[in-house]
Amino acid sequence: MGQQILNAIFIGSIYALFAVGYTLVFGVLDILNLAHSAVFMLGAAVTYTLVVNHGQSFWLACVLAIVAAAFMGLVIEYICLRPLRRRRAPPIAALISTIGLALIIVAAIEQGRPGTLFAWLWVDGANPVTMPPGTFPNPTWHVAGLTLEGSKLAVVPVSIALMLVLGYVMRFTQVGRGLRAVAENPRAARLMGIDVDRLISLTLVISSALGGLAGILFGVALGGISPYIGRDSVEVRGLAVIVLGGMGSIPGAVLGGYLLGFIEVLAVVLLGSNVRAGVAFAALFLMLVLRPQGLFGAQLRERI
Amino acid sequence: MRRLHLVSWLAAALVVAACGSAGGGGTGSTNSYSGKTIKLGAILSITGAGGVYGPQSRDGMMLAVDQINKAGGVNGAQISLTVSDDASLQTQSAQVAQTMIQADQDLALLGPTLSNSAVAVHPLAESLKTPILAVSTTGINIVPDCKFPNTTPCSYVFRDSLGEETAIPDNIQSYAADAHPTTAVLLVAQDDKFSSDGGLIVQNTVGKYGINLLKTIKFNKAEADLSPYVTQAVQLHPDVIFITSLGGIPANIMTEARKQGWQGQFLGGNGFNTATVSKNAGANGLGARSASAWYLGNTFPSNADFVTAFKAAYNHDPDQFAAQGYAGIKIIADAAKRANLTFSDVAGDRDKLRAAMETVNIQTPLGPFQFTSTHDVKQTVWIIKMDGQGGFTLVHQIAAS
Amino acid sequence: MDFLIQLFTDPVAFWNSHTLLISQIGINSILASSMFVVLYSGQLSLAAPGFMAIGAYTAVLMDLYWHTPLALNIATGTAFAGVVGVAVGLPVLRLRGVFLAIATIGFIEALSLGVILNLPITGEGLGLKNPNADPLGGINIVLVSLAAVVFLLWRLTKGRLGYAWTAIRQDELAAQSQGIDVARYKLIAFVVSALLAGFAGGAESHLNFFVDPNEYGVPRTVQVLTFAVLGGSGNVLGPVVGALFLTTLPYVFQQAGDYIGVVSGVILIAVIIFRPQGIVGRGGFAFVRPRWWPRAQVRAPSTR
Repeated sequence: MGQQILNAIFIGSIYALFAVGYTLVFGVLDILNLAHSAVFMLGAAVTYTLVVNHGQSFWLACVLAIVAAAFMGLVIEYICLRPLRRRRAPPIAALISTIGLALIIVAAIEQGRPGTLFAWLWVDGANPVTMPPGTFPNPTWHVAGLTLEGSKLAVVPVSIALMLVLGYVMRFTQVGRGLRAVAENPRAARLMGIDVDRLISLTLVISSALGGLAGILFGVALGGISPYIGRDSVEVRGLAVIVLGGMGSIPGAVLGGYLLGFIEVLAVVLLGSNVRAGVAFAALFLMLVLRPQGLFGAQLRERI
Repeated sequence: MRRLHLVSWLAAALVVAACGSAGGGGTGSTNSYSGKTIKLGAILSITGAGGVYGPQSRDGMMLAVDQINKAGGVNGAQISLTVSDDASLQTQSAQVAQTMIQADQDLALLGPTLSNSAVAVHPLAESLKTPILAVSTTGINIVPDCKFPNTTPCSYVFRDSLGEETAIPDNIQSYAADAHPTTAVLLVAQDDKFSSDGGLIVQNTVGKYGINLLKTIKFNKAEADLSPYVTQAVQLHPDVIFITSLGGIPANIMTEARKQGWQGQFLGGNGFNTATVSKNAGANGLGARSASAWYLGNTFPSNADFVTAFKAAYNHDPDQFAAQGYAGIKIIADAAKRANLTFSDVAGDRDKLRAAMETVNIQTPLGPFQFTSTHDVKQTVWIIKMDGQGGFTLVHQIAAS
Repeated sequence: MDFLIQLFTDPVAFWNSHTLLISQIGINSILASSMFVVLYSGQLSLAAPGFMAIGAYTAVLMDLYWHTPLALNIATGTAFAGVVGVAVGLPVLRLRGVFLAIATIGFIEALSLGVILNLPITGEGLGLKNPNADPLGGINIVLVSLAAVVFLLWRLTKGRLGYAWTAIRQDELAAQSQGIDVARYKLIAFVVSALLAGFAGGAESHLNFFVDPNEYGVPRTVQVLTFAVLGGSGNVLGPVVGALFLTTLPYVFQQAGDYIGVVSGVILIAVIIFRPQGIVGRGGFAFVRPRWWPRAQVRAPSTR
């Protein structure tokens, strides 16, 4: 059971970090950014490529991958969101444009083979790959029957620290106040002299950087990096997390992430592995029907 | 739909000229196809869940086509192979198959890569009376009962890949004889046909060898983290963990189980038999055993030549799927050579080819190759284990029974 | 290019050798129409693949066990999907926008991962062989029923029901205050959508020798949503155009080869940015709106 709790905390941290970026964009823009899972995948893929194919050091690769993910945030804003905002398109249009971008990113990676257009980005096609051992320090301890693995343990403080920083920025800084104003009422914020477009770009940069980082941590700790890790592993679960926590609430997304991690692990232990995924989604369905404001919606009413 | 045409008309013209002077190699003028083209279509999963296997099959097939065409073709006819990606989706697989059979008028088809696409496409080819050769599918109800639960045997469906119904029991038997394990846990991906078939076969086999299956743990391929399942398996302290799953998942499970300190034996199915899995598992996969249709280190000429040519063409080692794809083209080419094709009546030619395929008897990288009376493969099974460095070493060989 | 050349030079041969593709376009159009109905009433429901699965499994199982005629099998599957539609619709329809979307995702995932993969009669992960399928002969059934569906929806949207749906989509509160029974009309839309999806599932299973449990998940729902939104959710022809456009895209752009995924993504983004209301907007196909034409209604369903 102890080991299972560790498993839950690890994957919960990944879910939380991924979902915080999701919920941030939703909180400010009322838009579900479905390219977020592709950015998650890109973070892991770029790190791998830089280390293995371009011979960069692991730490530099991580930094560059986060920069690449943040840049994708700008791409999302300038290509998928801003033109639609200008045309006052319904939010559902943004759903489609971000799906389109996700399609492009995944297709570019899965077609990356030696000698193709995207070979600089990826050479393994649809194959999953794993960081070669020794790329990064990964001490493993066996304590009291538990396995403690460095790369998994590191995920927890990194995630929590980043989420605390984000919470601080949102609450106590000029930028945070501006973002909350935009979330509340974009038109009023503009009239107050806030540069709404700049703040929205910033939101997407932060969100995507966090998504990319979640991907890097996921790929490093678990291996099996493929073009499909975002779509298969976190896209739908990320949605579940932000709903569990209450849409648009950052603390809610954090708690929701850990909650989903625990629900999934407990379902395996108590109800049997074959129904685990079904149980998690049935819980999501019931939760929405019974408590649409999210588990923490009432206490954490203020968004982002 | 991604298409790759592999026919060099310049080379074809040269070859035709060469054949003209060489006189067709003595097979007699009645069977000369010179100047003709044999059109084949392959439906492979280049992207999606089967994207680990499809590109290997494609490379093997391309190599065989290239070799045959450069050596004068099939009685002088050039082979033109079109490879289409089905994105690992059965509906797309079936659409591609229909286009190849009816619009492109291909003589025969190869594929599809995954079992769930195969069970959709094979009956379609059967009803359109077009020979189709499976080159990687190992699931249940592929041949001869492609229309299961209907009992009429399918006569146009062939398979050159080793079925799990042979491979998994052979693997278990050989390991049981070597190490006498008593307990096992099965980890099976429950959401695809290939893995579920494998899981079912393991469940039905272990009892025969005195192995007590402590627990069957089912999971879904689209899980973020498989650790909870692995923890559950490891805590039962089994002698053996069976893994039946696709893609990179077996490697993830092995890595996680070793990290959690488990020291037992991994046994698996066809999902192990690709360099991707061995490479991703690395040292954690050392010793993991599976039954393969092919072994890299076999020194008989038909394999040694294949391995040399493949390395020269692609700069890396072939794997089982490349060997099966390569063998598939050679099998069809051999049948076409003997089928006395007309090149004017496609339906008639397809029937002739089908009949000729039943009597194929050639040397391939898989060993001496023949079909059984039910169109399945009859070949030696190679028990291999991962070497911890991305490759495999041979443990046993089991002759065809 | 071969594809278009054959279409125009030899339409009969084209028709005969592409029956599966054309049937699939028909099925996709019916699915997109099912999505259209809920969007038209202002609900973002993503439950279609769940109802498809019910229609498909019911029809195939009846054929396998009772050898009943095809029409009865599909009708029963459709009716069963409708019944489940009522059962699911009643609790979830008070949810709005993204909340409804995520609750319905919970429903389809719980159904496919929790129920179908664990129910022995469905063959679990082994799938279900359907030896009596007729992939090449089903085209007439599909096209005739598509025409019937489009006509039916056209009549519905022009009648009392359609005006009630429009009123609810534009402003639920205002509709309520006008005495429109919002809950009832929303449920009707949800159930009509479930019936259409159930029918599409049943008909599709007749075109395929294998029922694959993986076909009824989130990727499918994203695909159907894309058909409906890109085609335009204001006009009954929108979903059909969307399905036709996106299903044939890979064939029309064959020369894109391996990069078809990238090309599709670019086209998707371009179309939605230049036509946020979809290819067939409220004003029909008109790309430039004449002065006298009613203003295109872009404020389609909101995601909140």
